[in-house]
Amino acid sequence: MTLLAPPRPRRTLRNALWLATTTVVIAAFWSVDIQWARILDLPAEIARYTWLMFSSPDWSKLPEALLQTWRSVAMAWVGTVIAIILATPLSFVAARDFGPAPVRAVLRVGFALIRAVPEIIIAIVILSVTGLTPLTGAIALGINGIGTLGKWGYESIEGVPRGPIESTRAAGGSWSQVVRWGVWPSASPEFMSFWLYRFEINVRSSAVLGLIGVGGIGDMLTSYTQYREWSTVGMLLIVVVIVTMAIDAISGRIRRRITEGARLA
Amino acid sequence: MTTAAPSPGPAGTSAPATALTLIIPPRPRGRWKPWVAVAVVLVITLITFSPQWGIAFSFEAIARNWQNGAGKIALLLVPDWSFFPRTIPPLIETLQMAVIATAMGAIISLPLSLWAARLTNPHPVLRGVVRTVLNIVRAVPELLYAAILVAMVGVGALPGIIALVLFNVGIIVKLVSEAIESNDAGPLEAARAAGGTGAQVNRAAALPDVWPAFANQSLYVLELNVRASTVLGLVGAGGLGLLIDAVRTFYRYDQLSLIILEILVVVVVIDVISSTIRKRLV
Repeated sequence: MTLLAPPRPRRTLRNALWLATTTVVIAAFWSVDIQWARILDLPAEIARYTWLMFSSPDWSKLPEALLQTWRSVAMAWVGTVIAIILATPLSFVAARDFGPAPVRAVLRVGFALIRAVPEIIIAIVILSVTGLTPLTGAIALGINGIGTLGKWGYESIEGVPRGPIESTRAAGGSWSQVVRWGVWPSASPEFMSFWLYRFEINVRSSAVLGLIGVGGIGDMLTSYTQYREWSTVGMLLIVVVIVTMAIDAISGRIRRRITEGARLA
Repeated sequence: MTTAAPSPGPAGTSAPATALTLIIPPRPRGRWKPWVAVAVVLVITLITFSPQWGIAFSFEAIARNWQNGAGKIALLLVPDWSFFPRTIPPLIETLQMAVIATAMGAIISLPLSLWAARLTNPHPVLRGVVRTVLNIVRAVPELLYAAILVAMVGVGALPGIIALVLFNVGIIVKLVSEAIESNDAGPLEAARAAGGTGAQVNRAAALPDVWPAFANQSLYVLELNVRASTVLGLVGAGGLGLLIDAVRTFYRYDQLSLIILEILVVVVVIDVISSTIRKRLV
């Protein structure tokens, strides 16, 4: 009795991928314009600055930091609201069964293109019209949000069970009635949790948008980094981390409550 | 609870008792809660839109600047193709940063992912420490890291790469350790029961299961890195962003338009390649 071992699976493709990946990575390391020797004293440098930032954070500017944080959060909120208002109708039009095929295709490509552009570039573009105000940041976040909310929206509309939609149609429901009674009851929890998730993303992004001068915590952080007031930078980072994590935690709880329903006592 | 019970209330007193009354289930209580939620959302929205406390949303300001700005934005429609040769070196640097950061981030993340998952690290304290540190790391956007790192180590690709690595480790470890949690505990228990050391258990039982998720998330992070690395230069961290910063100071939106087009092409191409590979992995 001989053991009939199954033939070894062929691994040509896998090996080729491995080879390609390794080549690309090595080529990138080798060709990039960095003095790799510098990397040796990097840990010490970073440790030194980290010490400067966090050994004794300067809390005297905390009130201003909180004000700027509020502006960032407000920017994120307004951006989310703008995105919801614009993206929700668009995502219905982009869903199968609801919009004509050519329009659907155009919208989907549009969503994909918006998602490919970082929001800070959108902010730079619209800046010449809206100026260096938090409004610019909010509008940039709003436009960027259309890409993500639109995509998630039509995917979730297409995932809605067909039964309620068909029965609303069969009962003579109009387009808007189908949306209200066939789609919305099953899609709304997902929609709301997407909105909250997008708000979480926006809170992070709004801090970044400050870098181009539209205000908020990012603006303050870049200024103090440039002044090299490390103890203030440390304080600002602590504020950013705490606020972001707190908003994530609250928003995450609400999302779970929306998608999973109330816990039965 | 009989079906023939006459319906109570003033209207039902004179009506004859019928054999069939529809018993409607009681309206669920707590119907006011969604309305409270809507009200809270509306109040926050009003505050954030208001000029005193919020960000002063006004169409008027936009209308005032329209004349001035719209012409510049229209320049986006006529990309300056002669600018193309100058964009190539920064574009390549952007891709180099993305690839290097992904590779470094992936290598650092592998052991950390094993540490952060319950199945592969039964030690609660160590696991908690890894998770907490990474939660904090994830709370700061990569561009803020880049801004600070540029002040620390100077302008160039290096601060950009470090910022991306921090960002990547946060994401990969979270996603991969979550994937490990959903793996089958059987092989690990078998390896431990057979007397394997920690390294042997990881090598023989944990890694084969971790591998697809790990490769998948690393490629996903590569996609994120390509997007992120295009703008890191705005704070001096190398790549296309440096050029964006130079171009925007002079409102050369025709040149900016070319850069945006290049970003679109690169991001879409990398996304397509990466998602084809990822589909084969899963």
